[in-house]
Amino acid sequence: MFSLFYGLWKYIFSKTEFHVLILGIDKAGKTTLLEKLKAQYSKLEGLPPDRIVPTVGLNIGRVEVSNTKLVFWDLGGQPGLRSIWEKYYEEAHAVIYVVDAACPSRFEDSKSALEKVLRHEDMQGAPLLILANKQDLADAVSAEELGQYLDLKKLDERVFTFEAVSAYDGTGIKESIDWLVEVMERSKRTEMLRIRAGSMNSGSA
Amino acid sequence: MGIMFTRLFSSVFGNKEARILVLGLDNAGKTTILYRLQMGEVVSTIPTIGFNVETVQYNNIKFQVWDLGGQTSIRPYWRCYFPNTQAIIYVVDSSDTDRLVIAKEEFHAILEEEELKGAAVLIFANKQDLPGALDEAAVTEALELHKIKNRQWAIFKTSAIKGEGLFEGLDWLSNTLKSGGG
Repeated sequence: MFSLFYGLWKYIFSKTEFHVLILGIDKAGKTTLLEKLKAQYSKLEGLPPDRIVPTVGLNIGRVEVSNTKLVFWDLGGQPGLRSIWEKYYEEAHAVIYVVDAACPSRFEDSKSALEKVLRHEDMQGAPLLILANKQDLADAVSAEELGQYLDLKKLDERVFTFEAVSAYDGTGIKESIDWLVEVMERSKRTEMLRIRAGSMNSGSA
Repeated sequence: MGIMFTRLFSSVFGNKEARILVLGLDNAGKTTILYRLQMGEVVSTIPTIGFNVETVQYNNIKFQVWDLGGQTSIRPYWRCYFPNTQAIIYVVDSSDTDRLVIAKEEFHAILEEEELKGAAVLIFANKQDLPGALDEAAVTEALELHKIKNRQWAIFKTSAIKGEGLFEGLDWLSNTLKSGGG
């Protein structure tokens, strides 16, 4: 009986926690973004960009944005490590896909990796934020141009947007995260994940 | 190696006492790694019998090593070593494919421990010098590292005998602990 009320209490009063995957091919700037997010939204300093090494596993960032708890999962993007991405799809509320906008020679690789993410059934309905990163570099393409390069099809049902950012100096980060929080709060996928978590809890009680 | 190690970790913990557990099945190369870090030369080790905890004090960081697997009766004593653990270094013999399943089970069992919940996890896919050693992607798969969702982890290919990969792994660990991650 207690656990029933406790569960109800938690359901009503606990802040929702959103899981956000940060994906993209290697050298896109995913970990730099994560550290920037930590620096902007939490008390942690975040690592300076020159201390960041290629990720071979999982980095986590927990921050709070306007009363919403966000947990970021940053996964390594080297080809051999991409097979692990899908293991995290099921529990993700949304995806941030990071692209190095100053490196057109790798747009094709970026595009095919993204298409694979979007095709996966565990990713159904997950809001997608595509970041044209590295805007601090002179030759970075704009968000619109990146959209043309990637030429994504089959996005019809999915909520998505392109944003131009610099994880290095922080340009565009706030706007991007504001957008993400808003769409996650009213996305069907969030509702679906909440129901599933609820039924799992009552199942184990 | 020892000096680089001091430089890396001296700023992480300050003067705070810290504990790093070095765990893995017997014969994974744990002790060899510790010796390698401390004095840069390999010292041959005898397999640990019973519950034998090897401790290496490095400034304010205590490294503690024991074998997982085997005798279940002594397991409750492990808990004495869990408080204040900032990180776990899990060492796997990448060439011992027969025992990877056991390595996986022991690994996930340890991660369940309440007092180790905040600890960051560094995996050394060791013995890369041996023929047939699996690479980090294959070891990741075998250990089912993707089941870890609440703490940071990273995997590195290492050869304790040759001293390869250890420093890269510790670099990651010190960065992770510095940026407040576990």
